[in-house]
Amino acid sequence: MCSARLGITVVKMQSALIADRIQFAFTIMFHYLFPIATMGLAPFVAYFTVKGIRNNDQTALRTAQFFGKIFALNFAAGVVTGIPMEFQFGTNWAGFSARAGSVVGQTLSMESVFAFFLESVFLGVFLYGRNRVTPGFYAACAVLIWIGSWLSGFFIVATNAWMQHPVGYVVTKSGTIELRNIGAVLLSSFAWWQYVHVLDGALLTGAFILAGIGAYYLLDRRHVDFAQGIVRAGVTVGIIASVIAIFPTGDRDSSDVTHFQPAKLAAMEGEFRSERGAPLAILGMPDTQHGVLIDPLYVPDLLSFLAYGNFRANVNGLSSYPSADRPPVDLTYYAYHIMVGLGSLFLAAMLAATVLLRRGRLFESRWMLWILMLAMPFPYIANEAGWTVAEVGRQPWIVYGLMRTSQGTSPTVVAGETIFTAIGFAGMYFLLGVVFLFLTLREIGHGPEQ
Amino acid sequence: MNVAAFVVLAAMLTAYVMLDGYDLGVGAVHLWFSKTERGRAASFAAIKPFWNGNEVFLIAAGAALFALFPKVYAAAFSGFYLPFIIVLWLLMIRGMSIELRGYFTSDIWNGFWDVAFWLSSALLVLFFGVALGNIVRGVPLDTQGYFAGTFTFLLNGYALSVGALALTALSMNGATFLWMRLDPDLRPRAQTLMRALWPVVLLLFIGVTVETIAAHPIGAHVGLWIAPAVALAALIAVYASKRAGGALAASSAFLAALMASAAQTIFPFLLPAFRGGGLDIYNAAPNAYSVGTALTVTIIGVGAALCYGTIAAYRMMRA
Repeated sequence: MCSARLGITVVKMQSALIADRIQFAFTIMFHYLFPIATMGLAPFVAYFTVKGIRNNDQTALRTAQFFGKIFALNFAAGVVTGIPMEFQFGTNWAGFSARAGSVVGQTLSMESVFAFFLESVFLGVFLYGRNRVTPGFYAACAVLIWIGSWLSGFFIVATNAWMQHPVGYVVTKSGTIELRNIGAVLLSSFAWWQYVHVLDGALLTGAFILAGIGAYYLLDRRHVDFAQGIVRAGVTVGIIASVIAIFPTGDRDSSDVTHFQPAKLAAMEGEFRSERGAPLAILGMPDTQHGVLIDPLYVPDLLSFLAYGNFRANVNGLSSYPSADRPPVDLTYYAYHIMVGLGSLFLAAMLAATVLLRRGRLFESRWMLWILMLAMPFPYIANEAGWTVAEVGRQPWIVYGLMRTSQGTSPTVVAGETIFTAIGFAGMYFLLGVVFLFLTLREIGHGPEQ
Repeated sequence: MNVAAFVVLAAMLTAYVMLDGYDLGVGAVHLWFSKTERGRAASFAAIKPFWNGNEVFLIAAGAALFALFPKVYAAAFSGFYLPFIIVLWLLMIRGMSIELRGYFTSDIWNGFWDVAFWLSSALLVLFFGVALGNIVRGVPLDTQGYFAGTFTFLLNGYALSVGALALTALSMNGATFLWMRLDPDLRPRAQTLMRALWPVVLLLFIGVTVETIAAHPIGAHVGLWIAPAVALAALIAVYASKRAGGALAASSAFLAALMASAAQTIFPFLLPAFRGGGLDIYNAAPNAYSVGTALTVTIIGVGAALCYGTIAAYRMMRA
């Protein structure tokens, strides 16, 4: 009788946990589509605005106006979908908020007072004040929006990085995790490397957006001057960003995972059993029942070398961790391989485009323009996949090593409530997504002002 | 320091009510204010550059509550789960309506977002008012501070009357803002609307104040009469003012005094329980270093935002 009742309680908590995780994953992944673009486009908008005003360059000003509109659509969608993110910590993750809010509340609060005000005040001027303020003030607005969007990203990554690798805290007698050193939280090298990687992913996306839209106009033989300018800017930034994504930032993030979250590394690489001279799986499908990769394509000893700089080093497999401490393998493994595979393709595409650009043949190479145009959605997928590795691979911890995700949910909110609100968010976001795509494609269809 | 944290939080919410108060108010009245496309488009144009910055005060106040008093944040948001999520949905619909209206010159498109804007603004104000009324009145809490009552408990007469006061006061505020900001030929309508709402606001204000003081006697604390007295004086000044700018300043002062009255009534509690006790500024706070950090960050950040926000708004409105 008693154990049966206990069974029901456990099932109830499990289903609430799953509902909470699905709702958060869905709302954050949808939301993040927009900050990728705002963080990625903001530097371009600022650059073209300053260039246009300083040199009285009309093409640069038209470019800034055009991407300013695209930026504004993304910003609005980002704000609308971002508000539920902050509040979900309280509504669905009250256990986590009550216990760790003393730390994570700080960085989230810094985001709103240091970044949100900056972005929203100056975007208001940038969009509606073109003829009301002086050109110098107008250019300053574009730069301040850029700073705001990158600051916002920093505080979010700092929050997440603390959950990945907690520092600067103290655990009290009652079990709450409280702030002891804000400097340690903000200056954690884990956070900074993660931030640079995230930012670079956004910048790469911005570069592909510019190159892709420009390629589309060139293929369509419209707005040629404008299009050549943005393809040039996109490819120039894109080649740098696609290198930085791999080295040093991707490399440093892997090394942080190796040192601080070895179970995540094992899941990412599909490494089920510990071994010396562990091979790197390029392809293969994990079979979690038997603990093997199906149809693998291995490079011998390479994982040992990449992780520890020694081809014979031991890499701990998933089997060396208690089953309660292992992250889900399939999702982590695929997300990681999708991110790395796409990252390699981005580098190849940008390298080819750069060579053609240097030789002055890019704008006539229709095959390359086709590639650039069709590549546009893929950086989004790579960014989302990267976050999936970070977040799914962090399981079963909500604060790594300190607090389990199952302890983080709200004691008063049951699965049925969350399922209802998740359905509501799905409907709302579907509408928003349709409207957003429609308006964005319409802006691209119109092209820059003449 | 915990007292300072309470004051800062109250100040941020007050700033939110004063600033987003005018664009929420515009939303609550704009369907009645004008039946013509020109009047409605002008109402949207008057708030479009500013509403997002104003709304950041709500986000920032929420985040400051998270950092300063995590237990209250957790208990309040999860305890009132569905109302909070509905508020989020309304904020989303409202944001979409402001951004999307006017994208096309189509009566169907604009008419849809007109109604969405009105409905979401009015419902938000009503929700906020009912929520504030319940907080002042106190709600049933369990030992951890989580809400332990039912939805119907929240729909009591006191909370509903605070909701009605919020809706009418912000409508009046929105009408006053339109009176100040619109083209001269549209102003008389806004002023008329403001004057029509004024007696209702006065009646509700007196009713709510009497009820509140009856439940939380002020007694010998003479200082506690200041906020309600300022509110009454400001409300009279709204009607008496000949100039729109003066009326809007008075209306904003009225809202601020109402928020101050609410804050002094619940102090030192942040989430009072219905029959005494609850989460207060001491039992819901983490260590002093944590509170101090959050307080410093908030004061510096909001202070800076007020400075550059004022500069930006001044440069925008000067033209």
